[in-house]
Amino acid sequence: MSSSINLTLKIWRQPHSDALGSLETYTLDHISTDMSFLEMLDVLNEKLTKEGKDPVAFDHDCREGICGMCGAIVDGVAHGPEKEVTLCQLHMRHFKSGDTLVIEPFRSRAFPIKKDLLIDRSALDRIIQSGGYVSVNTGGTPDGNSIPIPAKQAELAMDAAACIGCGACVASCPNGAAMLFTSAKISQLALLPQGQVEGKERALAMVAQMDSEGFGNCTNARECEAVCPKGISIRNIARLNREYLTAVLSEG
Amino acid sequence: MELNARVPAGPLAEKWDNHRFANKLVNPANRRKYRAIVVGTGLAGASAAATLAEQGYQVQVFCIQDSPRRAHSIAAQGGINAAKSYQNDGDSVFRLFYDTIKGGDFRAREANVYRLAQVSNEIIDQCVAQGVPFAREYGGTLANRSFGGAQVSRTFYARGQTGQQLLLGAYGALSRQIKAGRVAMFTRREMMDVVLVDGRARGITSRNIITGEMESHVADVVILATGGYGNVYFLSTNAMASNVTAAWRAYRCGAGFANPSFVQIHPTCIPVHGDYQSKLTLMSESLRNDGRVWVPKNQGDLRKPADIPEAERDYYLENKYPSFGNLVPRDVASRNAKEQCDLGKGVGSTGLAVYLDFADAISRDGRETIFKKYGNLFQMYEKITDSNPMVEPMMIYPAVHYTMGGLWVDYDLMTTIPGLFAIGECNFSDHGANRLGASALMQGLADGYFIIATAVANYLGTNKLEQINEHAAPFLDSRRGCEDRIARLLKNSGGGPAGKCTVDEIHKELGRLMWDNCGMARNATDLQAALEELPKIGKKFWDHVYIPGNTREINQSLERAGRVADFLEFAEIMIRDALTREESCGCHLREESQTEEGEAKRDDANYSHVSVWEHGGDGAPKLHKEPLSFEFVTPSQRSYK
Amino acid sequence: MWFVRFVTSSIGKKLVMAATGLLLFLFLLTHAAGNATIFMSSAVFQDYADELHSHPLIVLVFSSALLAVLLVHIGVGLYLFYENRAVSNNRYVVSKRVVKNSLASATMPYTGLFVLLFLVIHIFGFTFSPKDVPISSTVRDMLSNFFYALFYITAFIALTFHLSHGLWSMLQTFGVNHPRYELFIARLSLVLPLFFFLIFGGIAFYFMTGLGANY
Ligand SMILES: Cc1cc2nc3c(=O)[nH]c(=O)nc-3n(C[C@H](O)[C@H](O)[C@H](O)COP(=O)(O)OP(=O)(O)OC[C@H]3O[C@@H](n4cnc5c(N)ncnc54)[C@H](O)[C@@H]3O)c2cc1C
Ligand code: HEM
Ligand code: HEM
Ligand code: SF4
Ligand code: F3S
Ligand code: FES
Repeated sequence: MSSSINLTLKIWRQPHSDALGSLETYTLDHISTDMSFLEMLDVLNEKLTKEGKDPVAFDHDCREGICGMCGAIVDGVAHGPEKEVTLCQLHMRHFKSGDTLVIEPFRSRAFPIKKDLLIDRSALDRIIQSGGYVSVNTGGTPDGNSIPIPAKQAELAMDAAACIGCGACVASCPNGAAMLFTSAKISQLALLPQGQVEGKERALAMVAQMDSEGFGNCTNARECEAVCPKGISIRNIARLNREYLTAVLSEG
Repeated sequence: MELNARVPAGPLAEKWDNHRFANKLVNPANRRKYRAIVVGTGLAGASAAATLAEQGYQVQVFCIQDSPRRAHSIAAQGGINAAKSYQNDGDSVFRLFYDTIKGGDFRAREANVYRLAQVSNEIIDQCVAQGVPFAREYGGTLANRSFGGAQVSRTFYARGQTGQQLLLGAYGALSRQIKAGRVAMFTRREMMDVVLVDGRARGITSRNIITGEMESHVADVVILATGGYGNVYFLSTNAMASNVTAAWRAYRCGAGFANPSFVQIHPTCIPVHGDYQSKLTLMSESLRNDGRVWVPKNQGDLRKPADIPEAERDYYLENKYPSFGNLVPRDVASRNAKEQCDLGKGVGSTGLAVYLDFADAISRDGRETIFKKYGNLFQMYEKITDSNPMVEPMMIYPAVHYTMGGLWVDYDLMTTIPGLFAIGECNFSDHGANRLGASALMQGLADGYFIIATAVANYLGTNKLEQINEHAAPFLDSRRGCEDRIARLLKNSGGGPAGKCTVDEIHKELGRLMWDNCGMARNATDLQAALEELPKIGKKFWDHVYIPGNTREINQSLERAGRVADFLEFAEIMIRDALTREESCGCHLREESQTEEGEAKRDDANYSHVSVWEHGGDGAPKLHKEPLSFEFVTPSQRSYK
Repeated sequence: MWFVRFVTSSIGKKLVMAATGLLLFLFLLTHAAGNATIFMSSAVFQDYADELHSHPLIVLVFSSALLAVLLVHIGVGLYLFYENRAVSNNRYVVSKRVVKNSLASATMPYTGLFVLLFLVIHIFGFTFSPKDVPISSTVRDMLSNFFYALFYITAFIALTFHLSHGLWSMLQTFGVNHPRYELFIARLSLVLPLFFFLIFGGIAFYFMTGLGANY
């Protein structure tokens, strides 16, 4: 069960957006294998603080894989080597004593680095602002049961809606494309009757915003799907392509 | 401090309608001249901000995270209640009201709770219209489950991610208003202070977490939606950034703080496994439907669970509460787990855990059925603990989960400071001494979507506010005060870390003190001891804390230090509150006040009130009481035997 | 204009790639069918070629259209390649591909360019071959050169790779991705390119090894 390991960490350190960054090497001994990856970073930060050094800045909040705030590239893979987990859900028992881990921030032209592993993902929020919702005001909505939705359809919508907006898809896409994120958001609403009314404007607006943020073009490399902590399928990208095509042909 | 709850007159069912009619309105054309500040983007904040902006107000919204959709509401799993009675099983608005009042052990205000039950149905309609993918029956209608021991199925859910989906809905509505230019969104901002002008809340001071800059924001009303303070215990199921700072700063400006000691402790969490641990993970309560809770009969029994024969196991909940068994309410289950561990019968490497065993359920219903029901929870458990509950019993332990206490508010959700409102978990309003499962999401959205706009209109319609700007003296003073405080936090940081302690070390120390003395079961001796110990930790913090870096850059240690400094001050009124409430009620168990059978004993004659604390400047905090009267229900003693 | 906005959007560009890819793929189908007549005999093949060239207008229209499609496919493909490289070049000190068999997708521009090189040589050799020599002889003569045929086969390997990702990718871009057909599509995008390889490669092999010496 629980044991402890020794690690060498190479972590991207960059004081602020405009500074040049580089990898710094640290060693950490006696890391309990029950720790989560972020707790391991906590231990490192306590150690650095005690040595009078600047701790590593990284984003995190819920620490249970739902807020989408955490994330880093560990040995070349977003959120580390385990499948369908966020960095905060990755546990140290998946590493061996003596391992050297290279930890880098999620990178994309649209995700400026703010400090160390902490990045600015507000581009994803702007994609949502451009149309990732149903435009209803509060109040005066019909009874919930007046819109029947087949259970299977609701499940499919929920599959897409599970996206936590972590940005790992962008970080691992060889082209830095945000297609998986955008397609998940568009799919959720495209699969539900509530989303139909504005479906076409939504697809056009969100794709236009996505393009203007500086994300790359999808070439169907499928890396996004493979690292997504919530198992969002590229089937959603296919759906987005379809939605976009029909929208462009009739309204664009 | 005057505590006028301003509860409207009339029959319970008509209060809200009467109140809405009696309230003043703001002409649509005039609304854009008013500015509202909303701090927090959880369910309460996001829904409030969107709704106010839809109505035409100018809204400024603040949150700590990099995106409004990451607020802690995202983590809620189980579901949201509503009195739709879609299942035709006898539910009604009155029953939801009654269950909530009773669940809160008769320490909440009737009128507020009734209104909550009334608007609960509109919440579901609203969320469905937004495209929240609630679970559906095969016929396409909304599905419900029963939750938290309720006898009716009234909980709506979206897989195990209800909070996430509801928040994404509210975030969508908020995003739409940001796009429309009616909401200015300030992410990565931490509110540091409320600014009062002529005794009214007229703005806030916030710190930009990226640049460290102190900023002033002026408004006509300020709405706090900053969530709960469970992190005072260091370890809790709350997110890392959950804090008391905003509410505490409001308290220091004169807002009353109600029932600070009412903290809910959730029985089924994954136990602590080491002192590096940062967070406790909640496992759904539904596990208790099929899992049996037990500990070894003998103290210090270190055998593997499989090696302990049936005769040497103590199924203590089933034995003690034959009719409810493993399904007793959260507080009872939590207290009993602690009791067993205190008796030295706890299991696991720390002795702070009890078993939750599925072996009987598996042999009764088959592996497949059980895995189908709980598979995803089992996998989540296995990810964290590396042990498979299909093979070995789960280990669970209670953890701090929700805070019923919060800023005191009247029927209009306004604090004792005019123009300062509090909504969602950061107020004290609806859950009394204990919150029922799936009711927090309901309350956050009720406050945000359906209540706050009426209240804001009434306030703006009845008060004439002066024009001011951020150069006014109160804003400058507040900004300076916040900067001074940061400077004080950093004052030890010259000369290196030698001989100093880190923010987390102090936070852990505070957490342990609170957990041990003001946790699941409280007594006067321990509370008194904690009250004496607390200033020592505070002194150690201010004299010895070492914070690397400076204030003009991203400095996560500094952020945490500010929050811990507030927790250290806040803990005092928590302890005092627990000390002065010499009864047991809901989650608050005073060991001195128990029945012969060792159950919580309420004292309605002396404690049927809300305890409201007022900042006493340099002196001790002052206690005020809002008496609670029950016109429509009769308080009864809870029993689960 | 909506069309300009469409083709300059990220998904628009993608759809252009898929549409031109589809047309090229259809051309390959007919080309493969026509060329397969080689296996029957030189006469059949020559008849086929002659028949084709007896309708010069059709040939002209088709050739120009094909050229246009090819140019658009190459142009947009290279533009995408350039744009994406700007985004992603050397992003990480350590980077790993998680997807298995990502070779084909990662090398699309390179296999594509190699096919382009092939096409240039191919068209110079065949389309602009001396008009007085029957095309069937040209084919035999040129492909009987071991190294020329070897180059062809190498190009076909590249083409097979290009198509194995290309076909799947095209369908995905058109929005065709459904769990029920997933396996079918996966097989199809393996089998069809291999089928092309067998036919085209077979022809080259046929002459290269002297098997077709008396065709
Ligand atoms: C693990 C877990 C599971 C739960 N499951 C359920 C459930 O199934 N059903 C249910 O009904 N309830 C559940 N709850 C409770 C419920 O989730 C919360 O009570 C509710 O979501 C609180 O919402 P809120 O809007 O009040 O605050 P939060 O969602 O906590 O939002 C607080 C906001 O305030 C901001 N903020 C805080 N301080 C500051 C500051 N100083 N300056 C600026 N911004 C600030 C934060 O950035 C954040 O945006 C659960 C809670 C937990 C922890
Ligand atoms: C061994 C296999 C092949 C043989 C024997 C072959 C043969 C020929 C011949 C004889 C022509 C000239 C037709 C004419 O002008 O009458 C031709 C043209 C052409 N071939 Fe091939 N070909 C082969 C493979 C390929 C492949 C794999 C491709 C594509 C990648 C290709 C693309 C073309 C093109 C684009 C033209 C020009 C068409 C036109 O002018 O309209 N060929 N080929
Ligand atoms: C001649 C030079 C060629 C170049 C430079 C080229 C380049 C490319 C590029 C860059 C892509 C996109 C890669 C991606 O989406 O991952 C692509 C896709 C494709 N190509 Fe080509 N290609 C060439 C020739 C061909 C030929 C001859 C065919 C078919 C006979 C072809 C068929 C396809 C198909 C079907 C796709 C998939 C379209 C899609 O991604 O949706 N290509 N090509
Ligand atoms: S699609 Fe997956 S990887 Fe991308 S943001 Fe959403 S959860 Fe993260
Ligand atoms: S990895 Fe990138 S290329 Fe497309 S399929 Fe995923 S966005
Ligand atoms: S910290 Fe919330 S997903 Fe990792």
